[in-house]
Amino acid sequence: MTKAWMLACAATLALTACDTAKDGAAPTSEKAAEAAGDKTLATGLGDNAKFAAAIKAAGLEGALAGPTPYTLLVPSDAAFDKLPAGAVDTLMKPEGRKQLTAVLTTHILPGTMLAADIGKAIDAGGGKTRIATLGGGTLTATRSGTSIVIADDAGSKATVTEADSARSNGVIHQIDAVLMPTT
Amino acid sequence: MTKWILAAGAAALALTTPALAGQDKGKGGGNGGQKAERGNGGGGGKKADRGNGGGKQERQAQRVERGNGGGKADRQVARFDGGDRKAAKTDRRDNVRSFDNRKEDKREARVFRDDDRGNVRLRGDDNDRRFAGYDGLRSFNGSIDNCPPGLAKKNNGCLPPGQAKKMLGAALPVALGSQLLDGPYRQWYRDNDQYYYRDDGDYIYRVNRQGGLIDALFPFQDRDYSYYDVGSAYPADYNFYNVPQQYQSYYADGNDYNYRYGDGAIYQVNQSDNMISSIVALLAGDLAVGQQLPSDYGVYNVPMAYRDRYYDTADAQYRYNDGYIYQADSKTQLITAVIDALV
Repeated sequence: MTKAWMLACAATLALTACDTAKDGAAPTSEKAAEAAGDKTLATGLGDNAKFAAAIKAAGLEGALAGPTPYTLLVPSDAAFDKLPAGAVDTLMKPEGRKQLTAVLTTHILPGTMLAADIGKAIDAGGGKTRIATLGGGTLTATRSGTSIVIADDAGSKATVTEADSARSNGVIHQIDAVLMPTT
Repeated sequence: MTKWILAAGAAALALTTPALAGQDKGKGGGNGGQKAERGNGGGGGKKADRGNGGGKQERQAQRVERGNGGGKADRQVARFDGGDRKAAKTDRRDNVRSFDNRKEDKREARVFRDDDRGNVRLRGDDNDRRFAGYDGLRSFNGSIDNCPPGLAKKNNGCLPPGQAKKMLGAALPVALGSQLLDGPYRQWYRDNDQYYYRDDGDYIYRVNRQGGLIDALFPFQDRDYSYYDVGSAYPADYNFYNVPQQYQSYYADGNDYNYRYGDGAIYQVNQSDNMISSIVALLAGDLAVGQQLPSDYGVYNVPMAYRDRYYDTADAQYRYNDGYIYQADSKTQLITAVIDALV
């Protein structure tokens, strides 16, 4: 994790953000941090070091450490490993930041959506439901057995492998694939 | 996705900036496509609704006390009747298309305006007078197709930032007096005792009631979800405190950092060099009273602390967006109320 953080900082020009982050505090205002609570999305990324590093590189850690509630779809490190060789490195470069941000915000949804909420909407929608992302795109959720599957508009599918990790400012669902922005 | 990944992979192998630049421009890059798709889409929902709002909606804003308990201060609900607002598009892609049309309409309205809000009807010369006194503006008052190359790319219409900045310190053109903000923006930037906000389709203008002069402006249609990069400078032309109202108590300018809104996000900006150090909040801008609940808001998403009070019933649905919980009619899907003071 530390290594990943260092890589993220090396990849970004946002030295100020990194200076703040290395003290353990996400770069946001004091009041926002207070309102967000102790167990924020930003501190709940667990072993998903690649996603965490990407969030920091894009400067989005502060958004996950504030009072605004989000639902976070967190791809595992193995999910990032399935991307073509070099793709992640490209995204992590300063010149890839727009693409990186677009990819990451595809994994951030407005409000708190528990797996049961998504399931209900799938059932109400005749087997699927569309979900807006903070990246401006839309994902499609369906059921596969007892699991929830989330697909991007290009057809890539991610299965929720661990649902409903409650955080003080939202909820995290772990997924097994990286979703891509609407093109 | 395959195409995008291949492009990213190829760029990675080549390790060349031009390849990435190509992606930036939407030639296969994720964000590029995003921009093309949503360049107007996010705003699209809003702007479409600006237009679709159509006509005259008798907006009877009532402040209704709503009990809530939970130790929270009493929250107020602003209720609006739906008026005859045209049903909002239910698909974001449709919103994009709808907004594109609206945008065109709006631009054309600058020379041949038939204000769909019904409050102001301006045509031809009237519109010209609207910007009388601002050099260069009249030369850009055609439709978007008549914009000089490059000026329309950032969805700021034909009015370049430099020209718009000349509006600072000037009186608000009379014709803009009735140009109330629509969609989420009216909720985000509410008129108050000190300021009121108006827009011309390109920029939101903040007018100081004391003196009646424009003292801030920022792009209105910049919701292209191409967030300003961390590590880049926040645009100096719009460097005014413009954090949406519901976030202001959390993100006030301090000793080291300022906070600024732009492109669907709130940024932490270093005071010493104006560089963006962090994205501290992402805003969707998808919901507003009087609009249809978009089809991609079918999932209940109310924060846990509010679920005991705002849960879906046969009559009403509740959805969270950008600091507010919205109430929609379960049958018509029309958003009928916004519940205040929640981020």
